[in-house]
Amino acid sequence: MADVRLRQSILKDAIRENVDAIEGRLPRGLRRADRMRRRLFRASVFVVVPLALFLSINALTTGKGERTDFLVVSAPPAVPAAPATVVNAPIGLEPSLFRLEVRSVIIDPGHGGTDPGATASGIAEKDVTLDVARRLRDLLVEQKITVSLTRETDATLSLKDRVAFANAKKSDLFVSIHVNSLPSVKDKRGVETYFLGTTTDPHIQQLAGDENRSSGYTMADFRRLLEGVLADSRQGESRKFAESVQGGLVTSLRPVVPRLQDRGVRSAPFVVLIATEMPGILAEVATVSNDEEARHLRDPGYRQQIAQALSNGILAYAEARNHPPSRRS
Amino acid sequence: MSGKKDVLHVGIDLGTSRSAITASNGAHHVVESYVGWPLDMVARKVVKKSILFGAEALENRPMLDLHRPLERGLIKQGSTKDEEAVHELLKHLISLAGRKEGQSIQAVVGVPAEALRVSRQHLRTAVKGIADALLIVSEPFAVAYGMDALLHTMVIDIGAGTTDFCVMNGRYPTEDDQRTLTHAGDSVDEQLMTLVKAKNPDGRFSIHMVREWKEKHSFVGSPPGPVVVRFPVKGKPADVDITAEMKKACESIVGPITETMLDLLSKVEPEYQEKVQRNIVLAGGGSQLPGLQAALEKALAEIGGGRVRAVDDPVFAGSNGGLAIALDAPEGDWEPLSA
Repeated sequence: MADVRLRQSILKDAIRENVDAIEGRLPRGLRRADRMRRRLFRASVFVVVPLALFLSINALTTGKGERTDFLVVSAPPAVPAAPATVVNAPIGLEPSLFRLEVRSVIIDPGHGGTDPGATASGIAEKDVTLDVARRLRDLLVEQKITVSLTRETDATLSLKDRVAFANAKKSDLFVSIHVNSLPSVKDKRGVETYFLGTTTDPHIQQLAGDENRSSGYTMADFRRLLEGVLADSRQGESRKFAESVQGGLVTSLRPVVPRLQDRGVRSAPFVVLIATEMPGILAEVATVSNDEEARHLRDPGYRQQIAQALSNGILAYAEARNHPPSRRS
Repeated sequence: MSGKKDVLHVGIDLGTSRSAITASNGAHHVVESYVGWPLDMVARKVVKKSILFGAEALENRPMLDLHRPLERGLIKQGSTKDEEAVHELLKHLISLAGRKEGQSIQAVVGVPAEALRVSRQHLRTAVKGIADALLIVSEPFAVAYGMDALLHTMVIDIGAGTTDFCVMNGRYPTEDDQRTLTHAGDSVDEQLMTLVKAKNPDGRFSIHMVREWKEKHSFVGSPPGPVVVRFPVKGKPADVDITAEMKKACESIVGPITETMLDLLSKVEPEYQEKVQRNIVLAGGGSQLPGLQAALEKALAEIGGGRVRAVDDPVFAGSNGGLAIALDAPEGDWEPLSA
């Protein structure tokens, strides 16, 4: 028979957790760590994002930026690092000048229903993405952000349906959650974040092809969408958003998985990013074909960490939008 | 204590497949977690009820808008009908407990661990108003509490939607002490359905029939005998041997459960790991899967051995644990838990 005091102490914790839920607080185990992570991340964003923006504009104006077909930017680490390669960044109106707030976010859990997405070690991408999306929603709602999920259950949904849902909601940001699979290179792993753009990288072309299956769009639809892309100023904003989210993922997950690879911020023609009308990103939050990452993905605590990392990235971007970097140098 | 005379304490196990209630007045009931509403006026006239539960709902399913609200161990969010189904199911269970006039209800509801982690707020909203005060806990914790296994124990609760793992270290379990897999009863059913369909493309059977076959004939390891079931093939009833398919479907959950069990054990503080290895408890409907205990003990043998046992009463272990929590909770602590 367990000690009476032990039973009482365990019971008290159970009751406290319920009272926390009633009063809208996070479980105790998560709270302190969250605050610390958020503080650290915010501090790093204030240093790194303005620095990256300054360097990228400088590279363009001095003609030192070398043009490539796709773009890879390392995530902002906790301390300033070497400048990222930023190419062909659009120069236009700076939305942060308008102090636009982020009040609503669409979260798109990739795949679902009859489309399991990537599968390995008994894990289906559709389950991970939905679980992370639900956790992310809870975290953002706690920050008073309105959140809508493109799918709430294990439902089959075409990309067109997802886009139509997102556009109808007229939200401020779009976040599509996916899990990578690189079965031919088992040791490859890590996180990467995409924004809309072109690519000649065969891996990214294949990935975009896989993720664009069951798009639900006709050829005519697609041509119209692509015509709009080139003139779209959302691209630059989406890139910044992607940098912020990738930074969140790397900064928050590396303490848990020290060998996590920062696969960078990349551009690719994903349908959900082409057709949505708000700044959007597609985050590959893990690599299921890597055995160690698959093991981590089975752990709800790790999936919570991923959601927290995404939340950190979204909140940091929102904060940067609302507080433009000083123009004085 | 006069203060407790007017209170009926209840423990509820809200499961994907079955839900059970145990009350302080001795009542205990179990219903299948199905809730159905008549599709139209005609159906309502036939079934003579505005809402049906459990086996009765399942039997009348062609006439009902049938809901099994805790798919994969989570309340299906965004579906008002599923939220209502959870609410009605709990109300129904409490009504079965036989509350006396003027008696207040203090309830402990055990839910799949994943539901508690992912949708705590949502869950509270869905269960609002069913009792005077309500404490929600994870199902494996309720089982552990009921068995007084709060120290150096691992509970593996194999339900329909999820398999929940929980290591009891003498404290209320945190996220680090718990794991959830979606390899559980439903995933066995789906796999068995796919395998039998692949071998018998002309056969006709439903997921409910597959579930019944599994409940009667499931096994891990050597088959106790041939598994022969009857279903129509090309329109004619036929006896079909599904032994190989049953074995493959049932064993599909053994690998992930073993791997997760060993992974969680490796996280236990080294001085207590052996104690936990020797104290692994299987709960939930899946705990009755013949051969599973032996398969897990075989895996434990590779790390020095261990002991796996199943709870005596897999149907009521969770609700009995819930009732034990309800009875132990100090009266004053119920106040902030008013539902």
